[in-house]
Amino acid sequence: MEESDPRGPTRRRFLDYLLGTSVVATLSAILYPIFKFMVPPQVIEASTNSVSVGKNADIPANSGKIFKFGSKPGIIIRTQAGDLKAFSASCTHLDCIVQYSPEKKEIVCACHNGVYDLTGKNIGGPPPRPLEEYKVNVKGDDITVTRT
Amino acid sequence: MIGTRNERQSLQIVTLGRRLPASPAAFRRRAIVVLTVAALATLAYFVTFSRKTSAQETSSCVICHSKLEPRLSDPVKSFDGDIHKSKGLSCNDCHGGNPNKADKAEAKDPNWGYVAKPTAQQIPGFCGKCHSDANLMKRFNPSLRVDQVQEYATSIHGQKLQKGDQNVATCVSCHGVHGIKAPDDPQSTVYAANVAETCGKCHGDANRMAPYGIPHDQYDKYKSSVHANALYEKHDLSAPTCNDCHGNHGAAPPGLTSVANVCGQCHSRQAELFQKSPHKEPFDKMQRGECLRCHSNHDIKPPTDTMAGVGPGSVCVSCHNNDKGFAAAQNIGSDLGDVSAKIDEAKELLDRAEKAGMEVSHAKFDLRDASDGLTQARVLVHTASADEIHKALTPAMENATKNYAAGEYAFSELSFRRKGLAVSLVFILFLAGLVYLKIRQIESKPPSVES
Repeated sequence: MEESDPRGPTRRRFLDYLLGTSVVATLSAILYPIFKFMVPPQVIEASTNSVSVGKNADIPANSGKIFKFGSKPGIIIRTQAGDLKAFSASCTHLDCIVQYSPEKKEIVCACHNGVYDLTGKNIGGPPPRPLEEYKVNVKGDDITVTRT
Repeated sequence: MIGTRNERQSLQIVTLGRRLPASPAAFRRRAIVVLTVAALATLAYFVTFSRKTSAQETSSCVICHSKLEPRLSDPVKSFDGDIHKSKGLSCNDCHGGNPNKADKAEAKDPNWGYVAKPTAQQIPGFCGKCHSDANLMKRFNPSLRVDQVQEYATSIHGQKLQKGDQNVATCVSCHGVHGIKAPDDPQSTVYAANVAETCGKCHGDANRMAPYGIPHDQYDKYKSSVHANALYEKHDLSAPTCNDCHGNHGAAPPGLTSVANVCGQCHSRQAELFQKSPHKEPFDKMQRGECLRCHSNHDIKPPTDTMAGVGPGSVCVSCHNNDKGFAAAQNIGSDLGDVSAKIDEAKELLDRAEKAGMEVSHAKFDLRDASDGLTQARVLVHTASADEIHKALTPAMENATKNYAAGEYAFSELSFRRKGLAVSLVFILFLAGLVYLKIRQIESKPPSVES
């Protein structure tokens, strides 16, 4: 009954209502991020499109270097002729990390003797597909590899 | 007659307005040369470009057979999609006869090499007439092999055919008859993904195989194999099918001593290790068939670590029982199982840490080395050396342990952060409570006299 309300007129009750809702909103603004921190959502890994793999001097002729490309390995190779080539270093057979063989001038997988040529094409052993090729950019002395 | 005024005018056109010599004899000679060249060019054009029309569309074989009952007209329809037709060949190029004669007897004149339906024994020679002729085949496909008939003679099919067995496979059994496609055409019966089904048509037929006393379940078994899974599910056309192990034209079961060489075409490292292993000699002596003794042949399943141990699923215990080999198998199985379990634990922990928002990408990347080490150790099982496998697995175990610890550290860090957050939250809520009480206290005070 409005007559018996000790808090007085309706205007004060309206202000109390506004104050109460703002307190709830403030608490929600504090608690929601805390809740999300405690239970993070399933986030799909953001794909890395470009990575710096080092300086020119890091990769001499007829050698290869494994680098981290997101969560996957990549391999950059400088051929005997001086060309730079980059591929995914995950063998297409069972996902082992491939290596460059300076003696054979091929990319080899030690797990099951898979062999790829310097275009990434599977030429021996069990690998069913070629290696994914990446684009190599050289700016000054820095080498960057980009997903094509 | 050459030399009339009109003809001279037309020759002037032909010779693009060049002035003709005044002498009538010289004029005639030149006119004859020009007309001969024109006639030869026209003939060459028709021989080259209208062969299809003359050979196929005006062939009396096609004209008559198209009007006959289905049994005799079907070959004409099927031949429309045949690779030979697309290369300009027609019925008479294989069956002989004279396609220019409308009369049946004349068209099927044996003097024109007519053969209605070759017998099974005639077929290899029938196809080989062209396919064994290197000079002829070069005109159509310079890279095509020309030794198919020669190879066929070495096959079980070819050998039985030579002995008079008319039921064995010949060229047409696998390639078809009038609708033959190139092997890289997905509709071809010998396209990689269709080979097993093609072979299975005969080799899966119990009645047909009964006289030869050979099994008829190879195709069914193959369909459940790791190779079929790669071919049909993963669409890997390089995955082996029947002809990759048995050969195609020279199809035969690989001999017991050559099984490792056959499997080693793809699994070269395993074959190399097996050749040097202590198993090689006893397997050869016992005629154990090398690879297939442990992996079977048509229904090859993906290998598991339990195959190498002494528990259920072990293949070692079929020969070893309470001997040195049994102890080695026990150690190999236990080592592989331990490292595999540790890697799985580390992976699972790092995945959970990543989902909880912790940065563990370096640990996950590093853990790949442990997986590589495990894969390489699994291949080393073909050495049958427990020491060598243990040596290869040691760094993998160390790596997995290290990265498991990285996962544990990520979780302890997460726990610390959560506790810190909880303390801060309690403090904030406590302050909020105090503020609330203060407001209540202010509101409960009676209004002052001054106000």
